[in-house]
Amino acid sequence: MLAQVFAVIIFIAMFVFIVTEIVERHVVSLVCALLTMIFVFGIGMHSMEAVIETINLKSIFAKEFWYLSEETSGSSAGINWETILFIFGMMVMVEGMARVGFFRWLCMRIARLVNYQVIPLFITFMVLSTVLAMFIDSITVILFLAAVTIELSQLLKFNPVPMILSEIFCANLGGSATMCGDPPNIIIGTSLGYSFMDFVTNTGVIAGVCLIAVLVYFYLIFRKELRAGASKSVDYGSLPSPESTITDKKGFAVSCVIFAVAIVLLVTHAQTGLTVSTIGCIVAIATLVTSWKYAILLLRKVDYKTLLFFIGLFVVIGGLEQTGILEVMAAFIGKISGGNVMVMIAIIIWLSAVASAFVDNIPFATTMIPIIKSLSAAYGVDLSMLAWTLAMGTDIGGSATPIGASANVVGIATASREGYVIKWGLYCKKMMPATVMVVLISMLLIYFRYL
Amino acid sequence: MEKQLIISVGREYGSGGHEIAEKLSGHYGIQLFDHNLLDEIAAKKNLNMEHLKGLDERRKNPLSSRTVRGFSSSPEENLLYLQFDFLRDKADSGESFVIVGRCSETILKQYDSLISIFVLGDRDKKIERVMRLYQLTESQAVRKIREKDMKRRRYHNSFCDKKWGDSRNYDISLNSSKLGIDGTVELLTDYIDRRRQCFL
Repeated sequence: MLAQVFAVIIFIAMFVFIVTEIVERHVVSLVCALLTMIFVFGIGMHSMEAVIETINLKSIFAKEFWYLSEETSGSSAGINWETILFIFGMMVMVEGMARVGFFRWLCMRIARLVNYQVIPLFITFMVLSTVLAMFIDSITVILFLAAVTIELSQLLKFNPVPMILSEIFCANLGGSATMCGDPPNIIIGTSLGYSFMDFVTNTGVIAGVCLIAVLVYFYLIFRKELRAGASKSVDYGSLPSPESTITDKKGFAVSCVIFAVAIVLLVTHAQTGLTVSTIGCIVAIATLVTSWKYAILLLRKVDYKTLLFFIGLFVVIGGLEQTGILEVMAAFIGKISGGNVMVMIAIIIWLSAVASAFVDNIPFATTMIPIIKSLSAAYGVDLSMLAWTLAMGTDIGGSATPIGASANVVGIATASREGYVIKWGLYCKKMMPATVMVVLISMLLIYFRYL
Repeated sequence: MEKQLIISVGREYGSGGHEIAEKLSGHYGIQLFDHNLLDEIAAKKNLNMEHLKGLDERRKNPLSSRTVRGFSSSPEENLLYLQFDFLRDKADSGESFVIVGRCSETILKQYDSLISIFVLGDRDKKIERVMRLYQLTESQAVRKIREKDMKRRRYHNSFCDKKWGDSRNYDISLNSSKLGIDGTVELLTDYIDRRRQCFL
């Protein structure tokens, strides 16, 4: 009982400190992890075994961590080193791609392909944002897309805010389509043993349908604003050519190959048996070896704070899991739903969406994984269906408010630094209806396909 | 060519700091940036920023904003960074100007041509001034001074390491109630002229 009380207090304190940003979130999660070790596992449970199990270092030395010869059920206990290693590898690869000018080249190339026409640009950038976010973290996607959007808006004389808002939404939507698109999906996939293709054929299909609805929605609400600038005469010659944005031609070609290999490895990892941690290591090593001159620079650019945040978070959630608190929460959801699967899905998707709109979706998803496992075991509900429901709720819900997802913050900040300050009212007016619409469509598709 | 001069004026509400800044601007024939800073940015970027004026010199709300890898969703913070960038661009261009508030003594500290001033005042004199200027009763003036100063302190301290009004943060801090507005301006111009001789 004492351990449970400690676990809950530490968990709530962690959330409060993350939300208020008094201290940086990685410091919060690491301090809370230390407190979990001392108070929950030490004073509360007197269990050294729980500490070792939560730190989970032994998993790295297991063969299954690197190579799977057959299907695995995955594990959510303790620090998910597979997630950490994979995200690290992808961060190194993305930094390598950014160094050679890949993202700016891609944006400029597409802009030229549509002849710098505002409405086609608006549509293609939304699709580009979705597709890129399927493989690359949404922060990087928005960082480059928003910057190019502003650059183009100054030349083409249109308001970049509608386009940036649409790109943000699509980046979050694209992230839901694959296992590596959004951190909650990586955690769900590695914890429950789902492959890249499992995500593509389930959340990917849902995201694809939702993308069509989103394209129509944003076109309808923003077309007048965008067209206002579309007819003005423009000097296209002042725009940089796509080729001029490449800073290192050889490095660019190598980066494209590494990116393509990463996609192939991810798509086929269920067949090849390579785990995401192995894929993360392969792309990181390939990037560092081929860009050895810049290896130190690339390693310095990796967002270690986020990786440390994950490590601390996994320990705190491990505390909740070890003390059985999450099973109590699962039982509560089961009781409210009365064992009705439709109600259960509705609760999970809307609870996830609303929570993710206001708090970081990573701790929320990490907390929910053991809960859906308990629900599945207790009520005989298909675990994968609950996993897709959780993924859609957490990934999409974040779009509703300016603070819901990292892409939103980066997009808003990039626009604001150029004078296009986006306030809560404007953001929510345009994005909340889209979020509600997409969550609703996702829920109906889940009902239709799985029940 | 005239040597660059940047004068940063921090002030307590009711101390007459703004009027002193205006007079310094007039005396040296250089541009004054205060509430008009947003208009200047809007004109430069060809944007309408009227709807953002309520956010000027306001600290961010930690509950309604989030920071990711140094990027912030706070409109207040982003507006401030926009102003910082504008002021740094002006300073980099070699232009001389007077800037009122906006953490300018901190963000422009690296420029040798910066002279940072903080103007304070006696409580009774500040109340009297606010009552006279805004046709307020004494209690209304006291409340207004308290609210404005609290807002300025919170705003400044949330973005700067050193505290608002702390004399160690400014080149010169002085009480305008002792010499009056004109006397204070006279003293300051003497100080600024002596400092400018050091620049040369």
